[in-house]
Amino acid sequence: MTTDLAPPAPTSDSVAAAGTVDAMKIYGIGDAEVRALDGVTVAFETGKFTAIMGPSGSGKSTLLHCLAGLDGLSSGATYIGDTYLASLDDKQLTELRRTKVGFVFQAFNLIPTLTADENIRLPMMLGGEDGDAAWIDQVITTVGLADRLHHRPNELSGGQQQRVAVARALASQPAIIFADEPTGNLDSTTGAEILDFMRRAVRELGQTIVMVTHDPNAASYADRVVFMADGKIDGELSEPTSDQIFERMKTLGR
Amino acid sequence: MAGSTALIARRSIRARIGRMIAIIVAVMAGVSFVSGSFVLADSLKRSIDDFISELVQNTDLIVRAERAFDQDDFQGDNAREPIPIEIADDLRGIPGVDVVEPDIQRNASVLNADGGVITTTGPQFGVVWDGESLAGVTLKEGRKPSGADELVLDKATADREGFEVGDTVGYVTDVNIYQATLVGTIGTADTDSLFGATIVALDLPTALEHYGANGRVDGINISVVDESELATVKAAVQSAVPGGIEVVDRDEIIEETQDSIGQFINIFQTGLLVFAFVTAFVAAFIINNVFQITIGQRLRELALLRAIGANTRQVKRLIATEALGIGVIGTAIGVFGGIAVARLIIALFNAIGAGFPPTGTVLLPRTIIVATIVGIGVTMLSVLIPARRAAKIPPVAAMQPQIGFQAMRSRRLTAGVTMALIGLAAFLVGMFVQPGGGLGLTLLGGGGVLLLFLGVTSLTATFAAPVTRWLGWPIAKMFKTPGKLARDNVARAPRRTSSSAAALMIGVALVSAAGVFASSLRNTLVATLDDVVQSDYIIQGANDGATFPTTVTDEIGALPEIEAAMPIQITRVEIDGDPRGFAAIDPAVATQLVDVDLRAGSIENLADNAIAVHTESADDLGLEVGDQLEAKFSNQEIRNVEVAAIFGDNSFGSNWFIGLDTLAEVTAAPDANVFGFAKLADGVTPEEGDEAVRGVMESFPQAKAQSNAEFIQEQEDQINQILLLITMLLAFAIIIAVLGISITLALGVFERTREIGLLRAVGMNRRQTRRSVRWEAVIVSVFGALIGIVLGTFLGVVLSLAVPDNVISELAFSPSIIVAILIGAVIAGLIAALYPSFKASNMDVLEAIATE
Ligand SMILES: Nc1ncnc2c1ncn2[C@@H]1O[C@H](COP(=O)(O)OP(=O)(O)OP(=O)(O)O)[C@@H](O)[C@H]1O
Ligand SMILES: [Mg+2]
Repeated sequence: MTTDLAPPAPTSDSVAAAGTVDAMKIYGIGDAEVRALDGVTVAFETGKFTAIMGPSGSGKSTLLHCLAGLDGLSSGATYIGDTYLASLDDKQLTELRRTKVGFVFQAFNLIPTLTADENIRLPMMLGGEDGDAAWIDQVITTVGLADRLHHRPNELSGGQQQRVAVARALASQPAIIFADEPTGNLDSTTGAEILDFMRRAVRELGQTIVMVTHDPNAASYADRVVFMADGKIDGELSEPTSDQIFERMKTLGR
Repeated sequence: MAGSTALIARRSIRARIGRMIAIIVAVMAGVSFVSGSFVLADSLKRSIDDFISELVQNTDLIVRAERAFDQDDFQGDNAREPIPIEIADDLRGIPGVDVVEPDIQRNASVLNADGGVITTTGPQFGVVWDGESLAGVTLKEGRKPSGADELVLDKATADREGFEVGDTVGYVTDVNIYQATLVGTIGTADTDSLFGATIVALDLPTALEHYGANGRVDGINISVVDESELATVKAAVQSAVPGGIEVVDRDEIIEETQDSIGQFINIFQTGLLVFAFVTAFVAAFIINNVFQITIGQRLRELALLRAIGANTRQVKRLIATEALGIGVIGTAIGVFGGIAVARLIIALFNAIGAGFPPTGTVLLPRTIIVATIVGIGVTMLSVLIPARRAAKIPPVAAMQPQIGFQAMRSRRLTAGVTMALIGLAAFLVGMFVQPGGGLGLTLLGGGGVLLLFLGVTSLTATFAAPVTRWLGWPIAKMFKTPGKLARDNVARAPRRTSSSAAALMIGVALVSAAGVFASSLRNTLVATLDDVVQSDYIIQGANDGATFPTTVTDEIGALPEIEAAMPIQITRVEIDGDPRGFAAIDPAVATQLVDVDLRAGSIENLADNAIAVHTESADDLGLEVGDQLEAKFSNQEIRNVEVAAIFGDNSFGSNWFIGLDTLAEVTAAPDANVFGFAKLADGVTPEEGDEAVRGVMESFPQAKAQSNAEFIQEQEDQINQILLLITMLLAFAIIIAVLGISITLALGVFERTREIGLLRAVGMNRRQTRRSVRWEAVIVSVFGALIGIVLGTFLGVVLSLAVPDNVISELAFSPSIIVAILIGAVIAGLIAALYPSFKASNMDVLEAIATE
């Protein structure tokens, strides 16, 4: 197995918050075989905002799920910090998700019976912890939700709901936050607010964020864009503009 | 993409199979109980019919005393008088008469090695048996008894007690204790027992002496030489016997016995059917709830059907057809499940000592028809409202589900209040006014309760949210986030919560009502013993309902430690055209032993040809002390009796008293005491008294003397046993209710798949997931139990108030029953949560998140 692999050497000057080594994810067998991940080796640096782009079905979500410990690989390894996920049992994985990982989905991010405030504190509540009050206050202020805290999700707009989701991901100060098309359901102005907020979380609060998106404009908020095609990494761009990304997308997978 | 559609399809099929199974089980349970009640009663009737026919197969005519009064019930005290044995000799000479065989059936119990009466589930009899002739009794081992030192037993009893032919066996009758040699065993042609009874059989001279028959027998069986001359012989026999004695033929006997036993079985069957219909009613709730929820879940699918052109009738028909299919399957299984249920009920009753005889299985077409009507009816009624709602879903809901949900909403508050109030009114009128007697009571009382349940169920939806929040508070405190989620999930669908709780509510309400009734009964009994019974000992037959000889009370009364002792016998006397239940007492000592709140006259004057009357009966008939009236006794003698006393307290059990001396003059039946009372003399300690009484009782194994406290304890045990039986019969309904909570919860979990996936993704572990579902179930079931307790206590109070004061005069509540119900509800919740919580915690997180 892959558990005896050491985390790869840090890339450039910062340490990887998470990454994969030769990750394979195969669905189905025989003719129906789909290689969702086909030998992906990638590392995400601490304190950076990374975007993953690629055509539909290229394996972006699969990569994210495997990195977050929601799914297992067929072969290869994933790690968060210095922990290899394959070495963890279900209980430890759950604990890892609760403490080390934040997650933002495209939609339905919140528990309808809980208020915004409770949703934000949910991971800490599940662990029976209070969390860092000053930090949580800061997160809430930064997200600009102070006056909406006691509303339930159905009383919030889609943008506000996503902001609560991002706040929840930040609240437990995880090692890394994964966001799968967090702005996919929002109009461009609201989306821009969320993206701006995520970038500030990275720049000002030192968070690490990995975001999947189809929108070059959204990707341009990131420090680095990793491209995927057919389950493989297909190059990357640093500090890109949306035009550069747009151009690169055209040639993807060819 | 293909993966996700397959996922959705797989999910919905899986969910619908679960739902269908739940409905089928609910229908099946209701139907099988209904069918089981019929199967049981029919099978019992059939076996008894067969048994009777076998017993009298060789008998052509029976000579016996006429009944003094019209038989209007199956009370033992309306038995026939014995007839002189000499009549048999007169009959032997009649031409055409072949065999003449006297028949006696008396008290006789078999003794075990310790000299005590053996405990049996069936009755114990002593009979006369002179070998195989007329009685359809077959020798199984050994030979027939002859002489005072021999007896035979039924083979089942001999085997059970380990008696072998040649052993010495003790038996006790109303006369004495005897030891005899077991010379044989008997049974019917096919079985080792005589319908579950324990039988001591002696030859005629021994029987006449040992049973204390006083030269009298219960009847005389006759066979004729030529059956074609039966009518002539019958007429000849009739003219040869004195007045007051009748001659009946075999067919009449069979019909008569079938009627009287059938009457008893019918009551039993009706009782079972009540529980069966409660079960079906509860099942209807569950079916309704499951349909309601799944229609909500299929809202888009149904709206899509409407969008592509299906009209409302077609949608309705779609739902109804589905329901019908499920109902048919459930009914089909249930009809045959009834056979198993019948066996289960027999086992249940036998477990508490009922002593059912071995029976076959009879499934009549009537059973299948009624069970089918119930099964299909319950399913179709349950789907009526959900189908109407489904039809209201507008096509646009395919795109905007929330519009569909709005369309399905209905105004339930006013309907609920109206239903509950009408139900309540009907129940109260039924209980207290009883228009049209028993029928009015049953229809208004039963119907009222049903309406009340329905009304309360829809009302609970309005307060389910706040109440469950309050109930869930400690759970949220104790179990933090999972507890809080559990509480929120209960409160968020108040209607669903109330209808899944309702099923449990009904079961609990009936148990609590029975609990209040039983506690009140017990307290009334204690009060009666305090107020009415002045004695220190109560004497009864050793086996339930068995009588014992007068010598017991005579000997106890003769003890120096005892101030007074008195037996109580019961009889019937016709007064003013109706047979009335009389208690016979000893006027000389009665006032020392019982205080019946004398209003006028005196009990001491009850000596000869006098009666005492309860004030209510006296008012009814306009009787006063000193009045003379005509009384017809069980030997058909008519005497003038005088009202010697009027008393005010009938909690003792009878509105009429007569002196034991008078009774002895008007019946030839042996002394059969049902109760005895004895009081300690002044200065004798209970210990000394116990010692002395025990000394006497040692020679009377067929009776037992208990202190008042022991007596109360025994009565209480019996009441508790009946309560337990009621609870067990309600268990069907309660199991269905638990199943209902479980399936509702499972459907809820299914609906919340995405939410649960999200919780798991952000770090909720499996244990916490299970916990949240588990406590959700507990909150729902405790909620149902609480409403059930409140409603049931109310019903129990009304019921207790409605029965006559001599049965229940004091209301009482049993906190232990309430606590037991609440603990039971928590356990029920935990059981209901097993499957859904497993489902929730074992969900694949990714799949769950992918679900829309
Ligand atoms: N559970 C599954 N079973 C079988 N195949 C799957 C499963 N999940 C994903 N796949 C396949 O794996 C491949 C990668 O899917 P993935 O969801 O990672 O793509 P994606 O890049 O996120 O696409 P999109 O941009 O549309 O979200 C696809 O071909 C998909 O069909
Ligand atoms: Mg994706």
